[in-house]
Amino acid sequence: MTKKQAERFLPLKPQWFHILLALAGEEQHGYGIMQEVLERTMGKVRLWPATLYGSLKRMIDADLIEDSPTRPRPEMDDARRRYYRLTGLGRQVLDAECERLQGLVHAIRTRRGMVTE
Amino acid sequence: MKQAQRVYEWLARAFPHEFRLAHGDEMLETGAETMAELAKRRGGAGVARLVADAAVRLPIEYLSEMRRDLQYAVRALINSPGFALVGILSMGLAIGLTTNVYSSNWALLTRPMQGVAHASRLVMAEKPISYFYVESYREQKNVFAGVAAFQTAVPFNVRLPGEANGKQQRIFGQLVSSDYFQVMGVDAERGRVLSPTLDRAGDAPTAVISDKFWRSRLGSRSDAIGLALRVNGQAVTIVGIAPRGFEGAFPTESAAELFVPVTAPAAIAPELSNDVLYRRNAREFLALGFLVPGVTAAQAESALDGVTRRLDANDPSAPPQSDKARRVSLLPAGTRAPIPPELKRALEGFFGVLMGIVIVIACVNLGTMLLVRGANRRKEFAIRMSVGASRFRLARQLMSEGMLLSLLGGMLGFGVAYLLNTLNTRLHQAIDTPGLPDVAIDWRAAVFAFVAALVCGIGFSVAPALRATKSELTPALKEGSAMQLPGHRRFGLRNLAMAVQLAGSLMLLLITGFVLMGFARGYQVQTNFDPKTMAMASIDPVRDGETPEKAIDLFAKLPQRLKDSGKFSSVALTTLPPFAIVDDDDSEQLTVDDPQATQRVQQPAIRESVGAGYFAALDESMLSGREFNDADERSLMEPVPGNATRMLPVVLNETAAKKLFGSTNAIGKHLKDGTRSYEVVGVVHDLKGGMGIKQAIAYVALSRDDFTRPPAAGITILARTRAGLDGAAGIRNVVAGLDPKLVPFHVETLSDQLAMSRRDIRSAIRTYGGIGGFGLILSAIGLAGVTAYAVAQRKREIGIRMALGANKGQVLRLVLREGIALIAVGTVLGFAGAVFVSKALEAATSVLADALAMGTNDPRLLVGAPTLLAALALLACYIPARAAIRVDPLKALRTE
Repeated sequence: MTKKQAERFLPLKPQWFHILLALAGEEQHGYGIMQEVLERTMGKVRLWPATLYGSLKRMIDADLIEDSPTRPRPEMDDARRRYYRLTGLGRQVLDAECERLQGLVHAIRTRRGMVTE
Repeated sequence: MKQAQRVYEWLARAFPHEFRLAHGDEMLETGAETMAELAKRRGGAGVARLVADAAVRLPIEYLSEMRRDLQYAVRALINSPGFALVGILSMGLAIGLTTNVYSSNWALLTRPMQGVAHASRLVMAEKPISYFYVESYREQKNVFAGVAAFQTAVPFNVRLPGEANGKQQRIFGQLVSSDYFQVMGVDAERGRVLSPTLDRAGDAPTAVISDKFWRSRLGSRSDAIGLALRVNGQAVTIVGIAPRGFEGAFPTESAAELFVPVTAPAAIAPELSNDVLYRRNAREFLALGFLVPGVTAAQAESALDGVTRRLDANDPSAPPQSDKARRVSLLPAGTRAPIPPELKRALEGFFGVLMGIVIVIACVNLGTMLLVRGANRRKEFAIRMSVGASRFRLARQLMSEGMLLSLLGGMLGFGVAYLLNTLNTRLHQAIDTPGLPDVAIDWRAAVFAFVAALVCGIGFSVAPALRATKSELTPALKEGSAMQLPGHRRFGLRNLAMAVQLAGSLMLLLITGFVLMGFARGYQVQTNFDPKTMAMASIDPVRDGETPEKAIDLFAKLPQRLKDSGKFSSVALTTLPPFAIVDDDDSEQLTVDDPQATQRVQQPAIRESVGAGYFAALDESMLSGREFNDADERSLMEPVPGNATRMLPVVLNETAAKKLFGSTNAIGKHLKDGTRSYEVVGVVHDLKGGMGIKQAIAYVALSRDDFTRPPAAGITILARTRAGLDGAAGIRNVVAGLDPKLVPFHVETLSDQLAMSRRDIRSAIRTYGGIGGFGLILSAIGLAGVTAYAVAQRKREIGIRMALGANKGQVLRLVLREGIALIAVGTVLGFAGAVFVSKALEAATSVLADALAMGTNDPRLLVGAPTLLAALALLACYIPARAAIRVDPLKALRTE
């Protein structure tokens, strides 16, 4: 997996970025991802179900995420839920996007004279 | 809330199968939880947003599935290039051909005229009427927003500016009332159009020229407006140029290049002499009406009928008509070909059937190929179904392949149509066919091709897709493509399709053949002499600037001068070249004038004006009586004093004489039409020509009117010479010696003239022959494909048979048996279908009826077409069948 491969996905669609970010910490099911994004953004970003699962499907096809084989304890588990985790490529893409966004923020700050070169 | 929940669930279940398989349950569950939470926190707006999200994503998911299907399809087609090539080619040919028929014939019937605003509101009276009637029609303000009068196909001898002594050109145009352009809703491209306020009687003569005139004759010069042309020797100022593509009303009759107002002096147009605008019995104008919005042609027709009845009642010269018949019939004038709605429907039906058969054949052909291919891929499908692919998904993918093939075919088809169109246009330009528009392939044709491709794509891929994906998994997995399909031997879908295709091809071949043969026979002209030895030339002294008296004098002297030149054995004058094709519509009703008769005998007959010695010049002997002589002609040259009527001599052809007088001797009997009385002086054989239909023709002697106001074709001189002599040069010399002002035109031999009239049949042969040939090729391809498939399917069986001692002949027979049965069934079906369809068409349309009636009796076609098709089909079976005898039993058995 080269960097070039990861950069093909940039700039990342916002909802893909949020999903990757949500999965960066731990494996999650769809509803979990939705809740986590909602909390992290303090209710500002909501991934609506059809959009969320559409994105998940495309991200699996693009090999950014995959089904996770590990599942929670049986008493916590819901058999209908699928758990997702990042793939190597997914992680690389997330890193590349973060880097890109940082660059962007840096550029804005430089413009506004908040930092000096 | 409950309602929203139901809608959301319904939407979630409507997502594509693959999507639901992967995320369906989760989406439902997450949706339910989110909805409960949203209802609490954000109320109805939040719930609505949730449902809207699902509704928006639904089509997106389907599109994405389609894209994937298409990608698979591209890959599948690349993997089998032979299949793809044959499919695209046959689809392309079919779509190209139908698009061509659509854009040339169909468009001619239905497309609005260029440059005209509100074409659908334009109507035209079918029969010519007098200017007086037009003025009365104009007063029907509740029906017409405007009514214009025009005469079409009016010849003008034009000398272009700057060519003082240059050659005159004979150009066709229209004489129009000055409100003509306003009524048609046509604005000038440059300058102005004619107008009632600016172009009044007595003003300096003006004219509007067509864009074509401006481009081709004036070289698009920018100072064209205000230039003076010499029209029939008189100065006429160009005041405007009509918009591009506008060729006047009724362009299929004659494309107009020059528009001269009827207020112009008669010296410019002899058609305007004799007070033609004021005489009630001068029925020489066509009325063009612009309907008030909301008024239909039928309503206008009945309104005009009332007006015409009133006018006819006050007009002693009005032709006697039955009270019931409509006096006026209106045609739509906004299209290039103003034809009555019933005829339009019939023609549309004919072209519709043609296009339909071509499309069906191509669809069935591709359908068969897909069926074959689907059967070969059973193992692949079985594997995919066993790992979870749905039948719907597989069928959809097969259909995507079909659609892709069809769309690619559509693109190719559009290219083919474009090519055919270019070829046709070039051909028409080369022979300068009047009235045929440069029908361009445009967006409408593209849309048509696209829709045709879609229809084909769906048409031929649904059944094979469903068929291919319906199977028992286990045997399919085990045996794969070699599995025997249930019932495939006899009445399967594939065999049915093949028989339909063969039948369709034969139908196409026969119907197009019927029409062709009919035309071909109709145009076969038989002369009693070598047509190369008859020189022809037309002159029009009045339009060359001579006075009517001088013209009469010229025509009196001309025949003798030609004979005196020693080059010609016989000379005659006529208004219509012999063997010209005359429309039945131009005929006049003749009535037997016999006071003792118990019943009135009426017969429509075509009127042809011919000069003394006409039949002698054509080597036609008289059946009885005599033909016209110089004395007849001389007596007709005297103007008729006052209201006196004169008994005119008439010669009937055999058909007319039989229809009017039965077997009794016609000589000396009297006839009358609307205004004149005739005495039959002779009966002549039917000329073998024209449409070959036995038309009734009444020949009248050339009269003063013919010489002073010659018709569009002028007065034609027929002069027989000896083989090897240049008759044309002889005529030119004599004419120049008689009057150097005269410019002969249409100088050619009869044989040239006949060749010209045969070009229509050549063009028909190209079109219909092309369609018939196409059907033949397609069905051959289809049959070859099916046989090849059968051979591949039965390889194992053939291997076993050969291993057990079957010889090559037996194997070949085995494989060919099915093909032959199909050919037999297809031939019988096709034959019956063709006869049925052509009978139906014959009944529906008089245009094709004559051609069809003659064509259907042609044994060459009735025996030839099925034989040709059967032979080709057999060949198409035989070539792939030979593969069967090359089957190596060992190999065939080992591969399974």
